[in-house]
Amino acid sequence: MTDNLSDSRIQVRDLSLDYGNVNVLKALSLPIARGKITVLAGPNGCGKSTLLRAIRRLHKPAAGAIFLEELDIARLNDKQLARQIGLLAQSPSAPGDMTVEELVRLGRYPHQSMLQPWSPGDSAALEKAMSGTGVTHLRSRRLGSLSGGQLQRVWIAMVLAQETDVVCLDEPVNHLDMAHQLDCLDLVRRLNREFGRTIVLVLHDLNLAARYADQLVFLRDGAIAASGTPEELMTEAGIRTVFDVRSMVITDPVHGRPLCIPLGTDTVLSA
Amino acid sequence: MSDLPSTLTVARAPLALAIMSAAFVLLALSGVAFGSTWIPLDQVAGVLAGFGEKTQNIIVLQLRLPRVVIAALAGGGMAVAGFLLQKITRNSLASPGVLGVVDGAALGVVIFLAVLSDESNSLVTSIAYQPVAAMAGAIIAITLVFVLSGRQASSAIRLLLFGIAVAAVAKAVTMVMMLIGPIYQTSQAARWIAGAVNEVNWGEIQITAIAMVPVMLLVLLAARKLPPADLDEVSARGVGLDLPLFRILIFALAAGLTALAVAFVGGVGFIGLMAPHLARLLVGRNVYAGILGSFLLGAIMLIGADLIVRVLFTPIEVPAGTVTAVIGAPYFLFLLMGKQRHDG
Repeated sequence: MTDNLSDSRIQVRDLSLDYGNVNVLKALSLPIARGKITVLAGPNGCGKSTLLRAIRRLHKPAAGAIFLEELDIARLNDKQLARQIGLLAQSPSAPGDMTVEELVRLGRYPHQSMLQPWSPGDSAALEKAMSGTGVTHLRSRRLGSLSGGQLQRVWIAMVLAQETDVVCLDEPVNHLDMAHQLDCLDLVRRLNREFGRTIVLVLHDLNLAARYADQLVFLRDGAIAASGTPEELMTEAGIRTVFDVRSMVITDPVHGRPLCIPLGTDTVLSA
Repeated sequence: MSDLPSTLTVARAPLALAIMSAAFVLLALSGVAFGSTWIPLDQVAGVLAGFGEKTQNIIVLQLRLPRVVIAALAGGGMAVAGFLLQKITRNSLASPGVLGVVDGAALGVVIFLAVLSDESNSLVTSIAYQPVAAMAGAIIAITLVFVLSGRQASSAIRLLLFGIAVAAVAKAVTMVMMLIGPIYQTSQAARWIAGAVNEVNWGEIQITAIAMVPVMLLVLLAARKLPPADLDEVSARGVGLDLPLFRILIFALAAGLTALAVAFVGGVGFIGLMAPHLARLLVGRNVYAGILGSFLLGAIMLIGADLIVRVLFTPIEVPAGTVTAVIGAPYFLFLLMGKQRHDG
């Protein structure tokens, strides 16, 4: 990798963030690579979801700033920001009687205004997003009639229709079964490889993180514990430091990525 | 019905709106025709076109038309307010009544009547300021709901609960004010609280209409931004809806509309709950169709309620609000029971 700074799409600079009196993020700095998949991981309460939401400006920082290139996101209005960064929420919800197409159309919302009503460009983006995620045949279906896996694809289609260069996803596979987890993350990888989007992903599962990440970031106690390639981070010592878990790390014989086999915890977790 | 493709939903809206408009016109004409003397519809049309004879002119233009017009404005206004609240809270149980706005307005009216009357029980100021008092009460109530719910305001359920609490307090204070107040004020206040469209004159209609026009224009302007409000808060903000601020704007508009609607007519119940809910079932998700449909249905409901009390109870003037309450309360229960299926 060449000069890290000029290669980064997003710069988190000295970001501190509080929930009430609790200091959740502590003067955290992180460059996020352009056109790569960056996965934020860490134990519960480490601040990974908070960091993702802060990048999308859903939380106001106590100090520090987030830059898109050289642009401070605090200077953008809501729609401008929504044209730059898309977000798939951790547990998104929409009315069950809404149709797939109606939901995906909402992705075009930041591109419209009083002077710019629905245009052929919006229709093209809508169709592209639906076909790119394989939900075109579902367009007239009500959301309430879809399976969990289908529904997640539709939400990704909505974020894709937004046509943002950066896409943030907050634990997108949490409530999906194994097949749909892979299906969903393969789709995210296609957004990155085919559509060239910069992806920031919060994932709970370390092995999934290692499998899909170009850049892996470990957080602990509101700070960056480590950042690098999965091979650099997924070591037995590294996992023990961040997660308090003793493990064996082998190389996944199929994908060549590191694979963590947890052995036990260091600490006795209280009930 | 849940399997209808969206193309049908789109085509359905204009048809539903056309039928509603026809029903509205028919009901409005009937509202003028019915009364102690029946005036045939063609003669009603004649008077409205300026060809009526003198007694009919007086009956139609001074007695009957005003109550039809104010019923349309008030019913429609309350329905649109309910539409906005249901949309922004993502909850079909939200209504101006549940959110404390109407009870706040009632308290405003009672305080106005109590404070600004002299010893001989006559108002020291013009009755024209009564809607101002209703408006102030409504806005204070909705502000209280928001301030008290604070950070919980993003939860529709919490907002509803705080609304119910504020409404209960306002209702209690209103009751105390009425009990300790002079009889004249008590009956004036009671009439307001039940909600009746008689005794409204053209001057009051003018005030209502003139004040409602800019609020409705603002509603139509804001409607453009409403579609993402169907989503959860994070997703809605994700596509660029400036949510905490926009929600406050919508609540303020709904409170303003409600206050204007109830100012002269009083606390007509449940129209703000039923009309937007039915409108959404009939016209689908488009916000402009939803607003127009809600207005028409709200107008239809209040004109119809007034017609029912006139036909059933003449010559006693029973407030039209009693009819909407009798029909609306079971509807609310029905909604509440059916809601379980959609939650979770």
